[in-house]
Amino acid sequence: MTEVNQRIEVVTLFKSEGDPSELIFPARMRWRKEEIIFTELGLRHPTHKGQRMIHVFDMSDGVNDYRLEFDAEMLTWTLISILSGDKK
Amino acid sequence: MKTDNSVNARWGQLGINPEEAQIMHIDLNSAFATIEQQARPSLRGRPVGVTNRISKNCCVIAASHEAKSLGIKVGMGLMEARLIAPDLFMIESDPPKYHWVYKKLCAIMKSYSPNVVMKSIDEGIIDFHGTRKTINKRPLEDIGMEIKQRVKSDVGKWMKINVGIGPNRFLAKTASNLHKPDGLDKIDHSNLKDVYRSLKLTDLTGIAKHYEARLNTVGIFTPLDFLNASSNTLRKQVFHSVIGDDWYQRLRGYEVDDGSTKLGHIGRQFVLDIRTNDDSVILPRFHYLCETVGKKLRFNQVDARGILVWMILDTSSQTTHLDAVQGSKEERTSRIYNTSSERQMPADTVMRQEPVSATSSAGWQDQAVRSSGGEYWQMRKMHKSTFYTDKDIYTRALYLFNQRPKLPVATIGVTCYGFSPTNRAQASLFEDQNKQEWLTEAVDEINERYGIFMVHSLNTLEGKKIVRQKIPAFGGSKYFELLLERA
Repeated sequence: MTEVNQRIEVVTLFKSEGDPSELIFPARMRWRKEEIIFTELGLRHPTHKGQRMIHVFDMSDGVNDYRLEFDAEMLTWTLISILSGDKK
Repeated sequence: MKTDNSVNARWGQLGINPEEAQIMHIDLNSAFATIEQQARPSLRGRPVGVTNRISKNCCVIAASHEAKSLGIKVGMGLMEARLIAPDLFMIESDPPKYHWVYKKLCAIMKSYSPNVVMKSIDEGIIDFHGTRKTINKRPLEDIGMEIKQRVKSDVGKWMKINVGIGPNRFLAKTASNLHKPDGLDKIDHSNLKDVYRSLKLTDLTGIAKHYEARLNTVGIFTPLDFLNASSNTLRKQVFHSVIGDDWYQRLRGYEVDDGSTKLGHIGRQFVLDIRTNDDSVILPRFHYLCETVGKKLRFNQVDARGILVWMILDTSSQTTHLDAVQGSKEERTSRIYNTSSERQMPADTVMRQEPVSATSSAGWQDQAVRSSGGEYWQMRKMHKSTFYTDKDIYTRALYLFNQRPKLPVATIGVTCYGFSPTNRAQASLFEDQNKQEWLTEAVDEINERYGIFMVHSLNTLEGKKIVRQKIPAFGGSKYFELLLERA
C-alpha cells in the first residue's frame, strides 16, 4: 500500500436513483497529470475529524484500489493511499 | 452413557419447545475482512487478515473466508499465519469503516422489529415476538433472504451474512453457523434432533474443549447425548451450578439468554512493537493505555475502585528472573504470594500477584501466553475511594507497574473494575482534587470538539503514534461511538 495524502481533482456524479450505497460516485480523478477512471465504488463511509465530517471513498479502477477522502467542510478531495492490484 | 432416571424436581421431563421459531440471528461472518474486501476489490478472492497494527508480533483479529479455508485462525500470530499462507495480505483495521457497516446493519434489523439486540459489532438478534400478526406476516425465511439482499444493496455486493432462525437465541445462533458463509437455516422442534445428530459438542456455542471434557466424564459425547441428559446430571455432575439447568432448557429451545450483562471491567491491552524492559519505551505506551481506559470509564459514566496491571513477559531468550531466583513454578507461586504480603501496603489495599499457572482463568490471556511463549504476570489493587481521571488511573497503575519482574515485556494491559455510578457532580472538599477533575473535563470537551486525543499528556506522545485504537472484536458495540470520534 502506498501512502499519498495529496489534494486531487475529482469529477463526481450525483445519481438520482440506484443502490443507496452508490448514489454519489467519484467518476474520475486527476493525479500526477494522469487521469484515472473509476469503475467501482467499493465502500463509502462517513467519519469525523473532530467536528468535521469526512466521507471516505474506497474506489477501484479495475486494477488498483484508491482511498479518497472528501472533506465536507472544506469541500476538498484528498487521495490518501493506493493499493496495487498486482497480486505478486 | 450415564443417565439420571430419577424424576427431576425442577423441570420434570421437559420436552422440546414446540413454539414457532421467532428469533433471528444475523451474523456478518469474517466481518472486518469481508468489509475490507468489499472496500478494496483487488483483495476479493484472496486470503486477507486484519490486525490492529502490523508488526512482527501482531496477530490476526479477523480472517477472510479464503484465509480461513487455508487454516488461518483468529488469534494466530502473523509469522505463523505467513507460514501457512505466504500470500496472506495483512491489513490494518479501520474502525470508522466497521462502525458504518454496523450502523447500516442495525438500521436494517430495526426496520423489522423494535426488539433488536446487537450481541457484538458483527452480529445481532431480531426478536419477532409480537410482530408476526401485523408487520411481519411472511415466513421468516423470506424476511431472512430480504435482509441478505438489503445488506448487499445498502453496503455492497461482496457482503455475505448468515441468518439463523430458532425458537431461542441459542438455536438461532446454532442455525446461523450451519452453512457458512451466506447461509440461511432454521431450527425448530421439527428438525432439532436431526441438526444435533449432525454436530459435535464443540459445534455448540458455549461448549469448548474444557466443557467438552467435563461432559465426556459423565458419558456425554454428542449433542444428542447432551439433549438426553437430565437436568440433575447437568446441574450436579457437569456444571455444578444452575448453569446445568440453563443448558437443559437452552438445548430444548427455551429462552434463558435474554438477560442483560453488568459492566464488570474496562481495559486496554497492547502487544509491544519492541520487546524490552526499558521504561523509556514502555511507559509512553503504558500511559497512553491508561488514558484510553480513562476515556472509556468516563464514556460509560462510571467510577472505578479496582485496577489491574498485567503483562506477558518474554521468557524466550533467557532464563527467567523468576526461575533463576525462585526455582520451580510451584515454589514460585507461593514465593510470589509471600513476597506480595511482605510488602508494606497501605491498609486500604488488596493486592494479588500471580503467574498464569496459578490462578488465571481468562482463556484469551492463556491463549496469548501460549502464542507468545511468555509468562503471565499480574497485580491488582482495590482502593477504598473511587477514581476516574487520567492522572488517578495512571498514578495507581504506575505503582503496580513498578512492581513487575524485570523482564522484557511482550504484552501489557490495564484494566479497571469495581464500578459504581459516577459521582462527578459532587465537588470535593480538597481543591487539588477538584482542579484535577476540572482539568479532565476540560480536556474531554476539547477532544470531543476537535478529535479524540487532540489534547493528551506529553508523556503519551510516543504512545499515541504507536498504539492504535483496538477493535472490540469479541466484545460489545458500546465503544463504537467513542471510536467514531477518533479520526
